[in-house]
Amino acid sequence: MTPGDAEPSPAEPPALPAGSRDVLPVEASELREIEAALRDRFLAWGYREVMTPVLEFAAVMDRAQEGGLGRAFRLFDESGRVLVLRPDLTIPVTRLIAGRLADHPGPVRVFYVARAFRPPRPGRAQPSELRQAGVELVGAPGPAADAEALALLVESLQAAGLAEPQVTVGDVWLIAAVLAGAGVPEEVAARMRRAAAERDLVEWRAEARALGLSGTATTLVEDLPRLRGGRELLARIAREVPDAAEECERLGVMLDLLDRHGIGGAVHLDLGVLRDRPYYSGIVVEAYAPGVGVPIAAGGRYDGLAARFGRPRPAVGFAIALDDLHRAVVAQRAEPSRLRPGVVLVGGMDDDLEVARAVRRAGVPVVALERGDPSGEGLAAADGWRFVARRSGGEFELHDTATGERAACRSLAEEIASRA
Amino acid sequence: MPLGALHDDSVDVLESAGLDVAELRRAGRRLVVRSPDGTTFITTRPSDVPTYVEAGAADVGIVGKDVLRERTPDVYELLDLGFGGCRMVYATRAGDDPTRAAIERLGAVRVATKYPVCAAAHFAATGRQAEVVRVSGSVELAPLVGLAHGIVDLTATGSTLRANGLVEREEVLRSSARLIANRASHKLRAEQVESLVSRLEEASR
Repeated sequence: MTPGDAEPSPAEPPALPAGSRDVLPVEASELREIEAALRDRFLAWGYREVMTPVLEFAAVMDRAQEGGLGRAFRLFDESGRVLVLRPDLTIPVTRLIAGRLADHPGPVRVFYVARAFRPPRPGRAQPSELRQAGVELVGAPGPAADAEALALLVESLQAAGLAEPQVTVGDVWLIAAVLAGAGVPEEVAARMRRAAAERDLVEWRAEARALGLSGTATTLVEDLPRLRGGRELLARIAREVPDAAEECERLGVMLDLLDRHGIGGAVHLDLGVLRDRPYYSGIVVEAYAPGVGVPIAAGGRYDGLAARFGRPRPAVGFAIALDDLHRAVVAQRAEPSRLRPGVVLVGGMDDDLEVARAVRRAGVPVVALERGDPSGEGLAAADGWRFVARRSGGEFELHDTATGERAACRSLAEEIASRA
Repeated sequence: MPLGALHDDSVDVLESAGLDVAELRRAGRRLVVRSPDGTTFITTRPSDVPTYVEAGAADVGIVGKDVLRERTPDVYELLDLGFGGCRMVYATRAGDDPTRAAIERLGAVRVATKYPVCAAAHFAATGRQAEVVRVSGSVELAPLVGLAHGIVDLTATGSTLRANGLVEREEVLRSSARLIANRASHKLRAEQVESLVSRLEEASR
């Protein structure tokens, strides 16, 4: 090295791309518990799991919407075709159902637990990797299928540990019918729907007022995206805009079914919940929980989507954002994660292999250390294991870190079983 | 609550909507103030208001439409509060407008601004190319020393423009104060948010 050379730099701390993050053991196990609870519910309703590739052709995913996909990670294959890391799961799963399950005889019920990828917007603390669990119910039109999807959503969120999930339901057909029935010209209605989808209620009202409507429905049209409620809201709309009565009746049937599913209290109509994609039809769903500022689940009916993949069929579904659901569960659960009933066995790597094997066979996790290793209690505390055991004479000393007790015992497996 | 130009009117309109703002008026340099009626007021720079509301650190916020256009936060925009009116304009040095010549001979007009998103959108919407230069303050300086052909900035009376020998050429947008709400708060605290909207609607009429 000559004097002019730069000093060899110390190793830089290894960085991650913006939006990426590692998941450490405590969070990973909590995420897996949530996943397991959701999977259990999906299976109980007869949904079967599918998996789609992370890489798709951009041209195929682009079919889902005018103007192509929004934000997505793109790359090229060896012949120069553009690939994307799937930016959501609904579109790939719809592609799969249209292509691979085209001959399926009845309604198709599938679920997925998978990741989608989206480049984060700068300065927004958005993840680039989205863990999602969702279902698609394809081939069943009508309010009974809508109610099933909503019931499964509520039941799944509860099973994952959310005490009070709040599910809001809007409806693109109802909005369209009210605007058309009140005499709003289609090009203005399109601008109003876009404003509502962007949650700009000021713009909606400005457009509505500029129309100079007169008649019974004027206030209704101006306030539409602010309205929430249940059957009384549907009755009012049907009375003031008779052309929308059919949509109101459909939603009324759905509300009745939700009551019979036993989840009527968790679901509210909210006409401000809207999406501006031409393939959306009927209900639009968002779920919220205290402590999380974004929806923890979203979905709805998109009867027009499957046709874009060559097999038109009505479809309803939802996707739960696992990381947001986990945040909501953490926000509502005050106590930190509990100690797990495993044992750190000093000598379990060499002197007491047989004992370690017996304890594991009894269903208790054993973290083995070499004889004389002093790190027993420290390791147990760091990783959340409840017990530490070491040989003392012909017996074992079992240290229960939950209570602080130290007991002498002949059979570790029995002693731990009696305390767990 | 936004610091700066919108602050006093915001406090006034909340008071006429029936909120207890006495503690907020006495806040001094405190950024978080709790009122006896249970409201917590968070005061921050206007451009940060959407950030707090989008993340759910605040349920609702007051901020100018100019900031919403620039930041495009994912929030509900509930109400035009009517005050804080101002305009965002494109201005160049007095005399011949250099914009057309710049685009014809240089391919693009160079524009200095604190609002790069709004500026770029304005020129894109009118089919012209613009090179947007981001600056943090005293935007008027840029055309005077040759950094840019023009500026996009807010103006209320136009006096700062005039004092620096600039004239307005085009209006980019009209702004006023807006009430915004976090997406989850808008659903989970629906009744409280709706009641606030109704009272503010009444008060700002």
